[in-house]
Amino acid sequence: MADTGWTSCATSLKGVILDMCGVLYDSGEGDGVAIPGSVEAVRRLKASDLKLRFCTNETQAVREKFVAKLQRLGFDICISEVFSPAPAAVAVLRERGLRPHLLVYDALMPEFDGVDKSNPNCVVIGDAAEKFSYANMNEAFRVLIGLEKPTLFSLGKGKYYKETDGLKLDVGVYMKALEYACDVEAEVIGKPSATFFLSVLNDMALQPHEVMMIGDDLVNDVGGAQQVGMKGVQVRTGKYRPSDQQHPTVTADGTADHLAQAVDMILSRRGKP
Amino acid sequence: MASGRALKAVLIDLSGTLHIEDTAVPGAQDALSRLRQASVAIKFVTNTTKESKKNLLERLQRLNFDLKEKEIFTSLSAARTLLEKTKHRPLLLVEDSALEDFAGIDTSEPNAVVIGLAPDHFDYQTMNKAFRLILDGAPLFAIHKARYYKRKDGLALGPGPFVTALEYATDCKASVVGKPEKTFFTQALADLGCSPDEAVMIGDDARDDVGGAQSTGMLGILVRTGKYRQGDENKINPPPHMTCDTFPDAVEHILKNLL
Repeated sequence: MADTGWTSCATSLKGVILDMCGVLYDSGEGDGVAIPGSVEAVRRLKASDLKLRFCTNETQAVREKFVAKLQRLGFDICISEVFSPAPAAVAVLRERGLRPHLLVYDALMPEFDGVDKSNPNCVVIGDAAEKFSYANMNEAFRVLIGLEKPTLFSLGKGKYYKETDGLKLDVGVYMKALEYACDVEAEVIGKPSATFFLSVLNDMALQPHEVMMIGDDLVNDVGGAQQVGMKGVQVRTGKYRPSDQQHPTVTADGTADHLAQAVDMILSRRGKP
Repeated sequence: MASGRALKAVLIDLSGTLHIEDTAVPGAQDALSRLRQASVAIKFVTNTTKESKKNLLERLQRLNFDLKEKEIFTSLSAARTLLEKTKHRPLLLVEDSALEDFAGIDTSEPNAVVIGLAPDHFDYQTMNKAFRLILDGAPLFAIHKARYYKRKDGLALGPGPFVTALEYATDCKASVVGKPEKTFFTQALADLGCSPDEAVMIGDDARDDVGGAQSTGMLGILVRTGKYRQGDENKINPPPHMTCDTFPDAVEHILKNLL
């Protein structure tokens, strides 16, 4: 059942951030499938006076590729509205003058095209899937252990995700392996890191309390957003599990059956079309 | 062990205690022979994830040590003992050279995961397979959790990071079977028919050899060879029963004071 208490904040809302996989679409064969009502919900948000951004931990493709996929599914979306960990990592590397050794999915490499990778002084890992071999892990380990102060960046810290042929280990698992090997703590770039959400808010030119995050991942979407002062609403699609409602540390500000319902509740509360 | 209690068994570490790579610690062979003339049982105990007992035996025999295969107890033996007891069918992530220590163990339709050092098996697909088994309820057994080790071409990842990775993915805790775990020492003593307070352990690793043995109720003697670094004896509490320069000195102490 939809609870409606959380919509009281809708009147003072100035912007919305949407997670992508599990909220807009479900991944799978080919492009995957749009979640019913989500295409229309995005269109309604865009027609409203709310600012809209998209925020994903996708690191298996460059933004051009997965934005094109969403456009094929019917979504009105463009690259400049999408925030993902790789470009955020590039910004951090530039700011701190770091040269990365990359252990990421091949298709993600172009995001790092302009970055100096010679004589690396840090390691960046993403969801590298099949590239998480012993040899590649060892190479990353040797770069780290050879540094005076090992610096490890992880693009997200998920444990696993679901694909059509079963559960697959995510980047967080390999992040833990390198953390243990080198006795370091990784800096996480992407959800749920505060820096990541703040960079999106900065782009929207809005304050945290003026923005709501809607996602299917209780810890990374809802918890991450709440930690910087935003409202976090969970939808019961994607990786949502009923046990999320008894989570020990994160409680969503509100829930909805799916994105279409959440958007409908927000917009009708604001009394605008 | 209070003085006056009979000493029945001596456990001896291999690498760093009897030999360093392909060189025996001076006088270690003779010291071992002297110990054998006393009426104590002897067992050689070591953390290894890739060398079978046969490999270890051959190396020690080349260095002229007098020992038999059945006197060797390794972390691989401990894993095997555990599997036999719990009747699990393991997915074995160990190097091929270690597989012979698991000969005869049923590995069809695995319902447990045993993880040692297995660079050839630590690919994404096999890690996923192990992960799914553990999510389905299979226990995770780790030979040990070393972070890394030294290879000829430099440092290389040990089993520990991969064990930690699977623990994080599945929210479970691995059972470690090698030193310094209590069960490792009690299993090593099991067929000698003596209790921990009738045994002494000699080794070069303050935590894994001496600390582990002493928390099991044995005496521990630390030797200043192998990986020993000055001050290691202060790293454990209670401190070692005794710290000796070399294995022959440790044997001398046992023959004079503990028998």
